[in-house]
Amino acid sequence: MATEPDPQTDTTADGSESGAGEVEARVGLRYTLKQVKRDTTALMGIYTVGFVTLIAVLAAIDYYLLDYAVAEMFWYSPVQDPDEVQRLLPPVGMENQFGAGVIEHPMGTDHRGRDIFVRLFYGTRIAITVGFMATGIGLVGGTLIGAVSGYYGGWIDDVLQRITETVYAIPFLVLVIAFMTAFGRDLTFAMIGVGITSIPVFNRLIRSRVVSIREEDYIEAARAAGVKDRNIILRHIIPNSFAPVLVQATLQIGVSILIVAGLSFLGFGAQPPTPSWGQMLSASRNYMLPAPTFSLWPGMAILVTVIGFNILGDGLQDALDPRINN
Amino acid sequence: MGLLRYTLWRLAQSIPVLIGIITITFFLANQIPGDPVEIMLGPTPAQAQVEAIQARYGLDRPAHERFLTYLSGVATGDLGHSIYYDRPVLEMILLRLPVTLYLTVSAFLFAIVTAIPLGVISAKRRNKPADHVSRIVSLIGVSTPSFWIGLMLIIIFAFYLGWFPARGLPLPWADPADIRGAETQLQVIRTSLHHLAMPMIALGTLQMAQITRIERSSMVESLQGEYVKLARAYGVSESKIVRKHAFQVAQLPVITIIGLGLSTALGGAVLTETVFEIQGMGRLIITAINNQDYELIMGTTFMFGVAFVVGVIVTDVAYAYIDPRVAYGDE
Repeated sequence: MATEPDPQTDTTADGSESGAGEVEARVGLRYTLKQVKRDTTALMGIYTVGFVTLIAVLAAIDYYLLDYAVAEMFWYSPVQDPDEVQRLLPPVGMENQFGAGVIEHPMGTDHRGRDIFVRLFYGTRIAITVGFMATGIGLVGGTLIGAVSGYYGGWIDDVLQRITETVYAIPFLVLVIAFMTAFGRDLTFAMIGVGITSIPVFNRLIRSRVVSIREEDYIEAARAAGVKDRNIILRHIIPNSFAPVLVQATLQIGVSILIVAGLSFLGFGAQPPTPSWGQMLSASRNYMLPAPTFSLWPGMAILVTVIGFNILGDGLQDALDPRINN
Repeated sequence: MGLLRYTLWRLAQSIPVLIGIITITFFLANQIPGDPVEIMLGPTPAQAQVEAIQARYGLDRPAHERFLTYLSGVATGDLGHSIYYDRPVLEMILLRLPVTLYLTVSAFLFAIVTAIPLGVISAKRRNKPADHVSRIVSLIGVSTPSFWIGLMLIIIFAFYLGWFPARGLPLPWADPADIRGAETQLQVIRTSLHHLAMPMIALGTLQMAQITRIERSSMVESLQGEYVKLARAYGVSESKIVRKHAFQVAQLPVITIIGLGLSTALGGAVLTETVFEIQGMGRLIITAINNQDYELIMGTTFMFGVAFVVGVIVTDVAYAYIDPRVAYGDE
């Protein structure tokens, strides 16, 4: 216990400075943040994720509270067809069979004359929401199943593990498609479906941690002191598995964004006219010859966002692994 | 003998998983809204017709009874009847499965052939320019949607440069009479490979990136092993150390990641087939869903599960072949 402080107490004790002569602990959130700050790639990841999330928050505020009032005031509505339709305009400076682009549409217009830039901007909301929500569902579900399974062992473990293995045995895109066919084709079920398919990932991670932690002395001590099983799992075992789960969750957000974009591309997910990146790509398929840049932008947006989460995840992994830093 | 027994043991282990897959697909198919009879016969069918359809598909019986019927049907190779195509589900699957397998296996071959040299070079020249290039390539690879790569490839290499065809994927063993512009089998193979190039790259890029990452970290670790130090001390040349000593040991995690990547690749095949308009399993399941063809939906979902389970067993056995401890340890 002395060499490995409980990360839970460590995360809350941000203000209190430790004694000058004390050796710095190589675990916990504060140490991690320090390592991340030293690593330029991880910092780039933080900035990218922060930037994209900020856009998503702005878009969400404008959508939920103001019904695109801000978008219309400064730019164009992302959902309404414009009065003066200029279909498939190329980006500024470029020229195609419909003529040169105009400055109001920096990325050109789509097949219904809507500004691509504003639709990309508002599509961020969907991508970030599904990324966080789907991962959240997988994280909570997988952590609970993994912790219970690993802690109790025996038949409970067997049953839970066989079920998650079976879920894992259907390629997840196919499983989510079947799930959405059964329950609903909109975004909510896309999030739930992707969340369920990511349960096995977190389950496996947590279970293996729990099996190794279960035998530790302080768990033994807690049990001897009469702490309830539920509290041992929630207070000791789950917080002690915090580091690898954080890394996996960050990477999983990127994966979820990719899967939901793929689902939208197939017509499962956010329904038109709500702007989403996958659905924009799906629409652009029919206009690849007259407007090739229409297909370019949404893909770039997905790429940049997912790269952000991936390098943040990699950076966290390096920062949390005491073997790498010395 | 260990390897054969291990294979049989893994096959036996997969039976409960397959039954589980059938249960999940049956449950999901049962939840699909809409009345199948109405979909088949229209809104105002004759009563006799309704009863005939209900009796034929067993819709008048409770769900658990239908489930047992379906389960025993699957066990005897009967996956039901596709309403949309009016043919047995199994027949449709056997028609489409080779296309998807051809695409997926090619994508993996592409991924392995490009990723292993990239990963090895990256590990050998750790933190040098070659390593940085390889890491950036694999980072972009894991972050790019496969269907978008497909769209970009079509725009550049099919529409602008005209090097590759944008749609379709004929099988290399197809009858020359069915393929336009082909007279001999050799020309069919050429046409097939020509069509294969772009979808293979689109689907394989993610696998390539993932295998590169694993190959790199695994090689880095392997190159720090005691046996490598010993070989160096004996004066074995560096290239021989990489080829003979470090490489084989480093391949075990790579095999694991290939097995797990199958799930992503089979799902990705649905997207790739959509982008390139390839008539494979992916298009089949989308057609089944769009036409509410229940038994076809169940059959295709089940078959995707089977493909994945078989793929994982193949990689597990390959793993046991390279590392015999696996086969002898699990008894």
